[in-house]
Amino acid sequence: MNDAVLVVGAGPTGLSAAHGVASVGRRVVLVEKQDTLGGAPILSGYAKLVPSGEWAKDAIGRMVKRVEDSPLVEIHKGARVTKLGGDAGNFNATLSNGKTVSAGAVILGTGFTHFDAINKPEWGFGTYADVVTTTQVEQMVGAGKIACPSDGRTPERVCILLCVGSRDRQIGREWCSKICCTVSTNLAMEIKELSPETDVYIYYMDIRTFGLYEDKFYWKSQEEFKTKFVKARIAEVTMAPDGKRLLVKGEDTLVKRPIVIPFDLVVHAIGMDPNEDNPEIAKVFGVGLEKHGFIDRDEQYTSTFSSTRRGIYVGGAALAPEDIDTCISHGLAMAMRAVGEMAASRHQRAA
Amino acid sequence: MPIHEKTLIDPQLLVQSDKLVVDGIDVSGHWNTMILPRTMTEYDPDFYETIQAFPGGENVHRCWQCGSCTNSCTMYAINTDFNPRYWIYLINLGYKSELVKDKDIIWQCVSCNKCTNICPKDVRPEGVMKALAHWLEAEGHTPKSRSTLFDEEFTRQCIERGRIEDTEVMFNFFRQTGQNLGAMLKGGWLRLLIERMNNVHLLRQGKIGKFVARLPLVQGFKMGWAMVFKPRTRSWGRTGEVLREYVEEQKRAAHAGIGSPTH
Repeated sequence: MNDAVLVVGAGPTGLSAAHGVASVGRRVVLVEKQDTLGGAPILSGYAKLVPSGEWAKDAIGRMVKRVEDSPLVEIHKGARVTKLGGDAGNFNATLSNGKTVSAGAVILGTGFTHFDAINKPEWGFGTYADVVTTTQVEQMVGAGKIACPSDGRTPERVCILLCVGSRDRQIGREWCSKICCTVSTNLAMEIKELSPETDVYIYYMDIRTFGLYEDKFYWKSQEEFKTKFVKARIAEVTMAPDGKRLLVKGEDTLVKRPIVIPFDLVVHAIGMDPNEDNPEIAKVFGVGLEKHGFIDRDEQYTSTFSSTRRGIYVGGAALAPEDIDTCISHGLAMAMRAVGEMAASRHQRAA
Repeated sequence: MPIHEKTLIDPQLLVQSDKLVVDGIDVSGHWNTMILPRTMTEYDPDFYETIQAFPGGENVHRCWQCGSCTNSCTMYAINTDFNPRYWIYLINLGYKSELVKDKDIIWQCVSCNKCTNICPKDVRPEGVMKALAHWLEAEGHTPKSRSTLFDEEFTRQCIERGRIEDTEVMFNFFRQTGQNLGAMLKGGWLRLLIERMNNVHLLRQGKIGKFVARLPLVQGFKMGWAMVFKPRTRSWGRTGEVLREYVEEQKRAAHAGIGSPTH
């Protein structure tokens, strides 16, 4: 029986799980494939987080520091698990850096991959410099300047297209990515703060700012920051004859008329894909994937956060599109599951 | 080819010409009917502020298009072209030309306020309908409404004299709204009103003494006197002037930056 817990992935989920396990005095081995801890919020350079409004580097930075400062957490950066043997209570993992790890339980906080907007070519990403993703705008906000990549001008008019890589059977993304509506309304406000003269339009099918995000983000962006919401699924983005502005074509569903509106900057609210490494993760850890390619889970009510393999837990955006706050809760819940299960088997042995 | 969704075709966009040459090819005759594109190519993101400047329109920007107003609307039940939800959307995106197309029905709102009661975002659509009607009026798209003309006459007398003379208000109102006073005195509600106020039924019953005794002679005399001499309320002085200035000031403040004449 091994008392350590192997945590894979050092994003909000993994960091929270690692802290949780360490907080009850158990050893943690944290493995992160990148050279930096923090996961998507840090690696992709998110600006202010929803809903706290704190800068990602501060908020997630504290989570990283807490784990780095813990004497019970052994961290392997730039490393992957290449092999996992053994069973629940007694796993043996081999890392890509040659080290081997023994662990009683495994927690997968392997997260997601941003949808690559190039897979919707009709919306111009990859064709026109001024078509960008929400992640890029996050980085602009982080840098304190909203500008068109083509020539650096401040956009007079920006549109955000929702559901890019979400709710789209055509490209096999049948899920709602859950957070893009809130992220987009938040970005609309941040754009307006940095550039008060810029008008921001959001093209939507529905607005899904769930829970408390409704009035704090959706209503606020509309009522206090003049964000305009247009019900239209855009058909295509092309270049205007002036070679400068982009033409956004679609149908305004509510007036039943075609629209061709010029914009300076078009933003894709990209969704959350299953982690592109999931096929490999499934093979290495022997866990199943659900039909969309996210990691599958066992019965949820009494075997919470279990993957399809005993002793391996999965949570956060590895399960499905998820917001950061929920990922953090999942991490802590998985820590509870892992140490609880190990304690139970120790009692059994003692009896 | 048959035209589907005919309702979407705006008659103003149908163009017919006796002789039509397209790209050097004569297509006169059978092919001479063309439909101009109905594509929208611009927004006016600040237009909603114009509507907000009219009383009642303050919350128009809150709308999220749930359609509760239209579903609860008394007028919509009679005429499905009466669609507050749609007009609020047009206001928020600044589709002015589309709004003007409905100028002849927007004023029909009966102010039952069911929309305002049901609205989950507190847009107060009834107020928006009023603001919109007033904007159409201010821009000259619709003639002044009868209630506006009445208010104007009423206010004019108040400000000039510190009091109103009912008969004069009514006479001027009838004149400004083009109602034929002679015809109304001959028949209709005005004749009925005067007859009943003066107990004409007593005359018809042959009770001439009673009729004469009850004739409001003093009031009649006062009415005539006021019509001719237009007395002002005591010590009215410069009050009217001050009031007028104040009202103008308030109007200017409320419609600052609109650039259109207010009523």
